[in-house]
Amino acid sequence: MNIEKLFAHAQSKGISDVQVFLNNRNELSIEVFEGHLEKYEISDSSSMTIRGIFNGKMGTYSTEIMDDSMIETIVDAIIGSAKIIDSLDDAIIYAGDSKYEELTGLYNEALNNLDVSEKIAKVKELDAKFHAADPTVSIVETMYSESTRSVMLQNTKGLKLFNKVNSAMMGGQVIVKNESDQRTSFDLLISNEFVDFDTDKLSKDIVEKGVKSLGAKPIPSGSYELVFENNALGILLSAFSGVFSAEAVQKGFSLLKGKLETAIGSSKVTLVDDPFMKKSSRSRSFDDEGVATRYKELIKEGILKTYLHNLNTAKKDQVASTGNGFGGAVSAVNLALLPGSTPKNDLIQLVKDGIFITDVQGAHAGANPVSGDFSLQASGFVIKDGVLGQPVALITVAGNFIKLLQDIEVVGNDLKTGYYGITCPSVKVGPMAVAGL
Amino acid sequence: MLLEKHLIEKLIDTALSTGGDFAEIYIEDKVSESIQSVGGRIEKANSQKVFGVGVRIAHKLQSVYGYTNSKNPEVLIKLASDLSKSFSDSNLTKAVPLGELEIGQRHKVRINPRDVKQTDKVDLIKRAYKAAKEYDEVIQQVMTSISDSVQTVVIANSEGRFVTEDRVRIRIGINAIAGKDGVMQTGFDGPGTGKGYEYFFEEVDIETIAKNAARMAKTMLFADDCPSGVMPVIINNEFGGVIFHEACGHSLEATSVAKNASVFCGKLGQQIASTIVTAIDDGTIENGWGSANFDDEGYPQQRRVLIENGILKTYMVDKLNSRRMNHQPTGSSRRESYRFSPTSRMSNTFIDNGTSTFDEIIAATEYGLFAAKMGGGSVNPGSGDFNFSVSEGYIVRNGKIAEPVKGAALVGNGAEILWKIDMVGNNLDRARGMCGSASGSIPADVGQPTIRVSSITVGGKKGAK
Repeated sequence: MNIEKLFAHAQSKGISDVQVFLNNRNELSIEVFEGHLEKYEISDSSSMTIRGIFNGKMGTYSTEIMDDSMIETIVDAIIGSAKIIDSLDDAIIYAGDSKYEELTGLYNEALNNLDVSEKIAKVKELDAKFHAADPTVSIVETMYSESTRSVMLQNTKGLKLFNKVNSAMMGGQVIVKNESDQRTSFDLLISNEFVDFDTDKLSKDIVEKGVKSLGAKPIPSGSYELVFENNALGILLSAFSGVFSAEAVQKGFSLLKGKLETAIGSSKVTLVDDPFMKKSSRSRSFDDEGVATRYKELIKEGILKTYLHNLNTAKKDQVASTGNGFGGAVSAVNLALLPGSTPKNDLIQLVKDGIFITDVQGAHAGANPVSGDFSLQASGFVIKDGVLGQPVALITVAGNFIKLLQDIEVVGNDLKTGYYGITCPSVKVGPMAVAGL
Repeated sequence: MLLEKHLIEKLIDTALSTGGDFAEIYIEDKVSESIQSVGGRIEKANSQKVFGVGVRIAHKLQSVYGYTNSKNPEVLIKLASDLSKSFSDSNLTKAVPLGELEIGQRHKVRINPRDVKQTDKVDLIKRAYKAAKEYDEVIQQVMTSISDSVQTVVIANSEGRFVTEDRVRIRIGINAIAGKDGVMQTGFDGPGTGKGYEYFFEEVDIETIAKNAARMAKTMLFADDCPSGVMPVIINNEFGGVIFHEACGHSLEATSVAKNASVFCGKLGQQIASTIVTAIDDGTIENGWGSANFDDEGYPQQRRVLIENGILKTYMVDKLNSRRMNHQPTGSSRRESYRFSPTSRMSNTFIDNGTSTFDEIIAATEYGLFAAKMGGGSVNPGSGDFNFSVSEGYIVRNGKIAEPVKGAALVGNGAEILWKIDMVGNNLDRARGMCGSASGSIPADVGQPTIRVSSITVGGKKGAK
């Protein structure tokens, strides 16, 4: 689409400022089942979101058809949508910041150039290692996916910005089976360096976890000290990432309202938003409003330091946008709980009578971001006098997000970025309600 | 026509040129609109145009899929050609020529979302806001939204299928927040339809639904934390059916059965549930939330009796997975959009009516949990372990519904819970949901009469009783 033509037509119809946000994604995914390439997918797709101010209100339109024939439809739709908005919020199109971080190491051309046959071979290699790892391994699904994402922003205030990042995931799920039980185990690695995909370690870790969990059972209900493994903690944190949005605070549905500069977690908790994180496909130097992104501490040693802002929420709070305006709302880019120095095994040794939680399930439904309450299905291993014991499944752990942050006693050093995009180590927390038998 | 017929035929021929034995073209055009309000003011209004073409080629058990937004014939032919390079079999399959385009028109829509003024949609969600906000002074905030879409699909394949249909969906979301002394609880209702706007203008009362969301938030605000432990649980009708959807439905989809990765593999014809359980997945219900004329491989949607009096009768099977199984496809293939290759999914899934009345079920329970409204949940089909949350719960004591409790989760095993259903009510009803799985997020109805599960693990913050 001829963007200048779109801008000109929009302005001729009375739209004062216009912004175009273009999103292009190139994807590849490979799935291997029982040693054979089962599924292979490729795609190249684009979408465009256009925002425009009409009579002081922001109208929006998105389209996947981007030829000039759409210009009239887009402009009419923006005016139509602006007309029904009666929010008191200001509509802002941004002229830009003086400086934007240069993204380094986030687009790795070599990953894209690597022949697809080598990628398939590596997935087959992982698949074979899963099968070879243990006689109880029965069914294996192995996958690799890769995406290159380019975003471009251009507006009538003269701003023009561009980012390009790529990232890949490799992982698998195995089903292990013995005479009396069947368990699954899943994990993946995220990187844009192909050498990072260590198939030996990945297959060994996943299968080992599955084999150890055979025979998992609920344990008696009660209050137990817990160690959350990094993956499990990441899932839990992701369910509550929305509470840091200033939009949620201002509109009265965040439990962090009025908590700035107060202790919401233990002194061990420092939570940051790092928009420049290496190997993350979410990393960006500008947000969807064109504001420069920046590294920030949301919680520093337990104290809530800032909310996440877009242009609008920042104006209301009379602060600067934190560069977190994404998709018409406010969200973090790469949330990370900073690690401590304690190895995971030492965290386990600290527990006399408790549970090592390796997985939680159902966070999309069992965690309420407004009240902070959660009650989630969990699995893991009993800890007795600092030693891992029998596998545990079909229990629930229940608590409150703020209470959890306050109960974090020791932070591990085993940082990991999970599927939900949260980076965190394992942590030891105080007693929590567990339901089982 | 979204693409010319001769171009579609050319794409199929190109796809089969290297020995693929099946090719399918999926073309999607969708216009959707969403409006959101917070505190009674319209904050966001967005409309969206989606267009894309997906090309799938299979050879025995292998499949390749690709998609693009482009309508350009050269780009599309290159996509089909690039994908076909995955195969090299000298034994070529010849495509059956496409006949006349078959138009699905079982689900009639009277008031098309595209013909409704935005201001009339705004009016609906403002009425919902007002009813919820004015319900009680503890209601601090209400967020309402409306979204609708008209999706046109054209599906063609190398076996001569050539079908099209329009699929209309409308949904309203009402989220009420009750608060007092810094504590907040939520209540939600999300009515939706596969009909047109006649559903919201004429058939349901949006104020009643909104007040119910507010009532739920208020009830939960004053509720104690749920105790934990193993106890009988009575699960209410309508959205309570999410239990069957999660605990059993997903494990009956070929997506997991074909790979021998489901706890229900090899159980056809065997008893897998107590004899009072009959469960059905019916994609043909007129204007159902999960209905369609055709599945996303272009074959007619069907009514599938999954379990009859406890006996497993069928799995839900798509065409490609049927190749791995000794099982006919059941018209169960679905996908969110052209961005996903299709696989077997549920449509409108429910446990059928039994003979007990609601009152009998409550009266027969000395102590337990009554899950009046369920939240969502998830399952691991490999182990059968599932979880879901209870958004409105009550303790049942001495055969009567007693105090409300909040924050309950239920966990269990799908294969086991089916045997533990010991009472089935006679008040079957269905409710709307969105189901996320391998081929994306799709509208799916869940449903059941009120049922009782003799024992299940209940997790709550209050700890053991």
